[in-house]
Amino acid sequence: MPPRITQLAMRPRPPPSLSFTPALPFLYPPTHHHHHPLPSITTTQSRPASHAAQGRANKAAPGPGKRLGAKRGATELVVPGTIIFRQRGTHWFPGENAGMGRDHTIFAKEKGYVCFYKDRWRGVGYRGAGRVGARDGSGVQWRKYIGIVFERGGTLPRPVGAKRMRRLGMEVREREEGEGMASAAAAGVVEDAGALVRGQTMREREAVPRSRPELKMSQGYQFRESNWSIGRAAERANVKVRNFKPGDRFLAWRKRTARKARVVEAKSMKSRKARQAKGSKNK
Amino acid sequence: MPLDPNTVSTYREERLLLHHQHKHPIGSRRRRAAIQSSDNVPFEQIPYQCFQEARKVLAEDREEKLAQIALMRKRIATWQAIPQEEIGVARKKGRLVAMQKHLEHLKILADVNDPVIKKRFEDGMAWVGEWNADDLRMMAGDMNRPIYRYLADRKWRKYARLVLMQRISQFHIVPDVLQHLDPTASVTLGFQRRNVQPGEFVDSRVSEVPARLNVQVYDKGERLVTIVVVNPDVPDIESDSFSSRCHFLAVNVPVSPTKSSVPLAHLKRDDHIVQPWLPPFAQKGSPYQRLVVLVLQQDGSEPLDLARLKTLAPRRDAWNTNRFLAHNKATPIGATLFRTVWDDGTDGVMARAGVEGVEQELVRKRPEKNPYKKKDGSRYR
Repeated sequence: MPPRITQLAMRPRPPPSLSFTPALPFLYPPTHHHHHPLPSITTTQSRPASHAAQGRANKAAPGPGKRLGAKRGATELVVPGTIIFRQRGTHWFPGENAGMGRDHTIFAKEKGYVCFYKDRWRGVGYRGAGRVGARDGSGVQWRKYIGIVFERGGTLPRPVGAKRMRRLGMEVREREEGEGMASAAAAGVVEDAGALVRGQTMREREAVPRSRPELKMSQGYQFRESNWSIGRAAERANVKVRNFKPGDRFLAWRKRTARKARVVEAKSMKSRKARQAKGSKNK
Repeated sequence: MPLDPNTVSTYREERLLLHHQHKHPIGSRRRRAAIQSSDNVPFEQIPYQCFQEARKVLAEDREEKLAQIALMRKRIATWQAIPQEEIGVARKKGRLVAMQKHLEHLKILADVNDPVIKKRFEDGMAWVGEWNADDLRMMAGDMNRPIYRYLADRKWRKYARLVLMQRISQFHIVPDVLQHLDPTASVTLGFQRRNVQPGEFVDSRVSEVPARLNVQVYDKGERLVTIVVVNPDVPDIESDSFSSRCHFLAVNVPVSPTKSSVPLAHLKRDDHIVQPWLPPFAQKGSPYQRLVVLVLQQDGSEPLDLARLKTLAPRRDAWNTNRFLAHNKATPIGATLFRTVWDDGTDGVMARAGVEGVEQELVRKRPEKNPYKKKDGSRYR
């Protein structure tokens, strides 16, 4: 505000208060204020701006409000998914039966009554699970929580060591697979092959499977033969592979010789073909 | 040519060693491979003057500590000889406890800087955390010594225990199962050949057989423990909540620093088992269920009365760990957990275990309507 600074520069410095008598007069040289009530302007003082008056620096205009804050009050009835508190950062943490969203919004996970409370927090591994020194007063941090209680008038936090209040929220119904599944399960044949098959002897397990098993939906929603079954495809097709015997140099020599013969054969075929092609071109 | 268990470093050699010489390789494969190419000079012959001077300093310090240990032992004997009437029961007991504690501390100090001990420990003589039968076997001889127990405990607390505490906290084992838990023993869990990390999902077919536990305690002496496997997430339709079920209960199981392996399937039915293994199962549609394995140290001087426990028969359903602790004088010293959900094998597991409810499934109740009445949609058009 340059104008105000100019005014200050024009106005004389007020004299020291009269109640204070300076002990060292030479520090206060005589002034002529009393003789000249309005001094002439001899020097114009100015202060450079330490903050830009215009431009980028002042652009941070207040945007629209983000409508943060409590959306439901204490003891208010909420249903699963109800937003209770919108915030930036974690002013409030989710307590019992409440959850925290991606933007730290606190929401209800169960139907019940909202409860705002404080509880102590000593990092992961507390709530009785023994951190060293967890029971003394060291390292206590109080946190603010929002939780849900099931009964009207209920309070949080629960006493130390008390179990959490949980709700199942499910009901039983007959399975859609029907009677066949249940009877099959009762007979113990529901077991899918390939996994740990109990009650089978080693010989049964190693027996060559007759046919390809039915395709089942596996991970990724695809119907495909399982890997263990693909691995036994050769057995089903009666393909026998000679067991590898380390150090069998005779076999290695035979294979090597056969390969060399094959290579020679292939090369001769190639050169013959090339010759034939040449001959045909010449014709 | 016989193979050296100290230097075998390929799968093939290890297998041959096991099959033909019936020996287990020693320590880690990394160590064995390193030994092959090193001169493997013993510490006394390493030709560095500074190293040898440092060893002398350490040896001197050890002599000092040994002298202190001898002195402390003498003092303890003196105090034990003093009649209680002269100094009072509390003072004598307090003094003796303090002196004993200091003695144990001195024993650690005497050995903790010994390079040989450090080498032996780091080479896997007392490795803790992974399931390796050979390491456990090697460890057995060493865990009688306070220094190896101390080093193993320190190692466990540096990583495995931190992970366990995190899982206990995040899965709310405290307070859902126990009011307070401060593990002092490491408990590792497996089923046949499969090792299970704390909190892992285990296929119902895998967990059909009893688990094998390794309960490693770090304080000396044999003690009797109770082993409980609890499921605190049994759906309870009537109360619209969860109840808890005991899947296994065995008492009077002896455990010591050198005797840590506890295969639940091998526990004797007549000596230990109150409730045999009930395979974990989760009905179709139900939320995942936590299976908490607790090791409770029995504090009483007498072993628990198995016959009484069997007749009282704490039913599997409505199991309450805190009540058991209160009635039977026990302290939880270790825990681990795994989880189970409905999978392809659960029907078969339930059928074989004779559990009812295969033909039922759980479904979410219809979502609650917002209690605040919303005005008719047509008004907004």
